[in-house]
Amino acid sequence: MGIKGLMKLLADNAPSGMKEQKFESYFGRKIAIDASMSIYQFLIVVGRSGTEMLTNEAGETTSHLVGMFSRTIRLLEAGIKPVYVFDGKPPDLKKQELAKRYSRREDATDDLAKATESGNKEDIEKFSKRTVKVTSQHNDDCKKLLRLMGVPAVEVSWKYSHSGSRVSFRWLLLKQRLSVLHFARQKRHVYAVASEDMDSLTFGAPKFLRHLMDPSSKKIPVMEFDISKVLEGLELSMDQFIDLCILCGCDYCDSIRGIGPQTALKLVRQHGSMESILENINKERYQIPDDWPYEEARRLFKEPLVVTDDEQTELKWAAPDEEGLVNFLVKENGFNIDRVTKAIEKIKTAKNKSSQGRLESFFKPVSTSAPVKRKGTKCVLVSPSPVTKFKTLSLRSRPGVLGRLIFPSLELGSNYSMPLFRHFCFGI
Amino acid sequence: MLELRLVQGSLLKKVLESIKDLVNDANFDCSATGFSLQAMDSSHVALVALLLRSEGFEHYRCDRNISMGMNLTNMAKMLKCAGNDDIITIKADDGSDTVTFMFESPTQDKIADFEMKLMDIDSEHLGIPEAEYHAIVRMPSAEFGRICKDLSSIGDTVVISVTKEGVKFSTRGDIGTANIVCRQNTTVDKPEEATVIEMNEPVSLTFALRYLNSFTKASPLSNTVTISLSSELPVVVEYKIAEMGYVRYYLAPKIEEDEEETKP
Repeated sequence: MGIKGLMKLLADNAPSGMKEQKFESYFGRKIAIDASMSIYQFLIVVGRSGTEMLTNEAGETTSHLVGMFSRTIRLLEAGIKPVYVFDGKPPDLKKQELAKRYSRREDATDDLAKATESGNKEDIEKFSKRTVKVTSQHNDDCKKLLRLMGVPAVEVSWKYSHSGSRVSFRWLLLKQRLSVLHFARQKRHVYAVASEDMDSLTFGAPKFLRHLMDPSSKKIPVMEFDISKVLEGLELSMDQFIDLCILCGCDYCDSIRGIGPQTALKLVRQHGSMESILENINKERYQIPDDWPYEEARRLFKEPLVVTDDEQTELKWAAPDEEGLVNFLVKENGFNIDRVTKAIEKIKTAKNKSSQGRLESFFKPVSTSAPVKRKGTKCVLVSPSPVTKFKTLSLRSRPGVLGRLIFPSLELGSNYSMPLFRHFCFGI
Repeated sequence: MLELRLVQGSLLKKVLESIKDLVNDANFDCSATGFSLQAMDSSHVALVALLLRSEGFEHYRCDRNISMGMNLTNMAKMLKCAGNDDIITIKADDGSDTVTFMFESPTQDKIADFEMKLMDIDSEHLGIPEAEYHAIVRMPSAEFGRICKDLSSIGDTVVISVTKEGVKFSTRGDIGTANIVCRQNTTVDKPEEATVIEMNEPVSLTFALRYLNSFTKASPLSNTVTISLSSELPVVVEYKIAEMGYVRYYLAPKIEEDEEETKP
């Protein structure tokens, strides 16, 4: 998933752009978290074995609540201020897309049934993972839980005037991740974006954290990527970096056979832009696909067509609603009362911790070594000025532009490149 | 080529003791004007700035500006090997990846050389603007140390408020509350025992006692401590080193949720 081989490429060529950080060192930081992706992970991971899920008395799944509750408390205890970003209602899908999506899950359901019959445990595990879906009920439950915990949940929706058949379902799934990233860009006061997907960098999230939501038992340090330092290390501009990612092979556009991350980096450094690479490349050695929508992919990385709901712009971390939490978790969803009251205590003590200020909010770092040019790049990335904002908005409202987003190649046999999303679904 | 000879070797030992708990690794910057350090603690809440001016050294030679990354725990280990009356000389060659500490006993009958490996430290240097502070309190360093220690047995945070009446340190914890008020007091025999309060505006700020306690490790360096407070800035706790420079600590205040700024 994400950009193929980018992680290794960065580790080799731009080690300064990524550093391992202790989970605890993010205290006081506001961090945007992709809620839907987290919920999906919780459904897969928390308390599920085979076809069994954690449920309440009425038989409704509660895995997502358990996961959301405990993970969020962990973040709060570390003094982190999480902002969960949910996506709004997806636009109406074409019927065929819906059908395709259902048939895929039905396949998995059939497979699961077969596996259950034959008693193959591995297969049961595999196929039951694939039948997991996030419904709007799950989303609503989590939103309610977060509200009770006093953690802000923001809904982001995308403007989408084109529902033509060319836009595949996968493309919509991808967009939903973009919404999180874009949210972080618009709301500058979010310090970083937490995601597991490497292409977050390509979307220009200034700081991007991996493994933030991993269970503490795994003891994986958080990996922090700083786009400006990555660019510095690779000696590329942001536009060149986007071209590099497209060449490596991203979710939106296939890669060229024979070009891996290393070659891609060499080519971009040598020629400077995709256009001149395509002009100069040895056409016999490297077969460029006939229909290679690199321009669209590029535009997509630069200007995800997402808008946030402006009414919810204010982020507030309030005190938890104790009574509400007990009602919701214990009475409605069968949580252990002792665990919940203990957790509420934790939230309350954690409040105190997040109020510690950081020196960086008073003193600004003076960089002595960074070249002026790089600093310019950084500025553009970090501060979407009102002017650029206006620009993206105006692009969005131009019908012509949307019509040009052609993504026929999205179906190109890379089904396995993003398993997490294959059966990601929202009840509509 | 770098060669710094400090007759009062114990001073360097004390300096190290005052910063090593707060910072693990740091770059020492040497220039023609002096020997300095700026480092943040790992959580980026506190910062220590050290300056030892060249005039304070018996011999000071620094041909070009260099920055030496050192592990402070290891450096403190080596300096512990120096006697309190020893003369300490810091030496480094250009382009070398080691630094040498030489300890000479006052009678010149023993000379010890300790060579320590340097390290590459990637650290951010913060620009600290000169500022006018709302209130400046000067008091005996031992007194300040005592207050911080006492309060931390009650609570985790301290509210420092300066008014016309004096400076008040207060805390609250599970077992109860504590308030300590120090009034201006200049009628003492020795000037270093005075408590002097200069106030332009009343100010009240909250800090984590854990950090203040580690600042007070610098008390052996100076009899007095200067605490500068402004409502928009981190507190500065300064210990002057006689005729040489200072150790300054900056600590970001705790901020109440509702008045929080929206900057990143």
